[in-house]
Amino acid sequence: MALETLISSILLWFGIYSIIALSLNIEYGYGGIPNFGKALAVLIGAFTAGAIVNRILISAFSIKGDTITQASGFMKSVVDEVIAANPAFGIGLLLFSLALAGLVGAAIGGLFILPSAKLESDYLAITLLAIAEIMFMIAYNNTALVGGYYGAPVPDVLAFVSGSVREWVFVGLILFFALITYLFLERALNSPYGRLLRAMREDAVALQFSGKDIMWVRIKTLAFSSAVASMAGVLYSYYAGNVIGIVNLFARVNWTFYPFLMVLLGGISNNRGVLAGVMSFVVIWRLLDGYKHEIASLLNLPFDVNWLQYIIFGVLMIVILYYRPEGLIKEKPIETEPLKDLRSKRSEKA
Amino acid sequence: MSLLVNNAVIYANLLTLLAISLTITYITTSVPNFAQGSFAVFASYFAYLTYTIFNFPTPYFSIPFSIMFGALIGVSTYLLVLKPLIQKEASILILMIATLSWDLILLGLIGIFSESMSKMIMADASKFNFISLDFKLAGIKGILISSTLAVVFSLAFLFFLLYRTKFGVAMRASMENPSLAEIMGVNVETTRLFSWLLSGAFSGLAGALLPFLQETFQTTGQMIIVSIFAASIVGGLSTIYGAILGGYLVGLSESLVTFWLSKIFGMSVLVYTKAVSLTILILTLLFIPKGLTSVNWRRYIWRWKR
Repeated sequence: MALETLISSILLWFGIYSIIALSLNIEYGYGGIPNFGKALAVLIGAFTAGAIVNRILISAFSIKGDTITQASGFMKSVVDEVIAANPAFGIGLLLFSLALAGLVGAAIGGLFILPSAKLESDYLAITLLAIAEIMFMIAYNNTALVGGYYGAPVPDVLAFVSGSVREWVFVGLILFFALITYLFLERALNSPYGRLLRAMREDAVALQFSGKDIMWVRIKTLAFSSAVASMAGVLYSYYAGNVIGIVNLFARVNWTFYPFLMVLLGGISNNRGVLAGVMSFVVIWRLLDGYKHEIASLLNLPFDVNWLQYIIFGVLMIVILYYRPEGLIKEKPIETEPLKDLRSKRSEKA
Repeated sequence: MSLLVNNAVIYANLLTLLAISLTITYITTSVPNFAQGSFAVFASYFAYLTYTIFNFPTPYFSIPFSIMFGALIGVSTYLLVLKPLIQKEASILILMIATLSWDLILLGLIGIFSESMSKMIMADASKFNFISLDFKLAGIKGILISSTLAVVFSLAFLFFLLYRTKFGVAMRASMENPSLAEIMGVNVETTRLFSWLLSGAFSGLAGALLPFLQETFQTTGQMIIVSIFAASIVGGLSTIYGAILGGYLVGLSESLVTFWLSKIFGMSVLVYTKAVSLTILILTLLFIPKGLTSVNWRRYIWRWKR
């Protein structure tokens, strides 16, 4: 495989997974909410792009088609031409979709945890997994919603950029959004809200005694983090040009398990650690994926290397849980203003 | 219609076996096993393998092999994954993530197993079923009889073990209160290991029978796990009676309710089979989070009598 494609795919996935892993870190790392249904938030992103924005565009350009897949295909060719002539339309479309995904993600994320918000962690995890799993089943099997197993093409928001440059511009765009997410979450979680979440993770009962409504905190947290993760879903859908990459049944591995692995690898409730975890994971993953045919022929494997990949990542996760449950970079205390003052006073004395 | 009821009962039987498997280990180790579905599907593939290499007259002969294979998976899950983490005093959350990882490992192994098997038997082994290989007795499908018998025998065995043997007493004691049982001289480690063995064996049994009902493929376990959880939670997750109750309730309603809905809304509803178990799961969690067995039914009956 060409080095260039390898690097661009590493950077692309680093960007996408950074957003998802950082959002998982809010729930699991800070809040201690075991969201085994993380994939749902990413699906909402694909859903916003493929089912909502596509339908808006189809009716705006009054396009006819028998199915959502067919109509989206016709719409894509029309809209791509409009974008090629008018870049602002493409960028506007992307921003509009991101904002919409944020809203829909927040709404559905809040609803998603509602049945289980009062439950213990094991019941909570089971319910979140079950809801996400079934939403995927419906999205995949029902072709009227977002194309199901046929998928639905989405317009190329960068249609004004020609051929090979598009890949790199898109990678840059995704990295830019990942950076914004990182900076934003770094601020948001070094606030009283971040400390509230950590307190909930450590001792929910004690927090309840100090007058906080645990259920409400959980609902808000899920709404917030789902909004963030659904933007990653939008970005990936627009990058791939189709929602099918997200709306498939294998989603639990790609959009729930891998983010968990990254967060635990990097270090929970530590955004910089999570980025390190994402980078290490993505490099291993892309190298394995890029050289899978070479590996298969070298070791003379009678099966698809993808299966081996699952085993490797499963074992890696268990090894991390056993040997380094704190991850690559340990959790640090939050730098509050009084703490900073204290530090500077101490250094003055010394 | 009769075929529908038949299939609903068979599915409910298998789901009950799987819900019992999940409950046994939940009681002793207090970890919901996210890999339970893959336990069964791996055993299905093993049944297919033994059926083809030994050239059995019917796949029913594979059942003992897949029970043993399932038990082996159960034991290795505990010894390789959970025991080391429990000794390091890992939280329940960490143990859950570990079973999720184990599920991924099993999925990879199932994939490798099935693809290597395809090469070995010169036929596609990624998908298979035993439906055409089933027998019929007086017009009744063999799988209906055998799955019902499987549940009856499993329950009889389980109740004999738990209530009629000394080991059963030790097991129940360590289910109730592990630290107290340990003080009283019960080897909690052994009872835990044994519960994983039992859990794997029951899943293996269900896995051997599953291909008689439906097409089995590598990711079947990932889909069936939602129904298993729904069944166990409806029953209360921590009692075996509950697992039986939940297994039949969820199993029967998944097929029958969907069929009833498809009569009203058309065939397109059939896609949403699993949504029925999800709805039951959510309703249970909202109104009776500790499950059906936690409800004091006597109180209601008494009130109704007055």
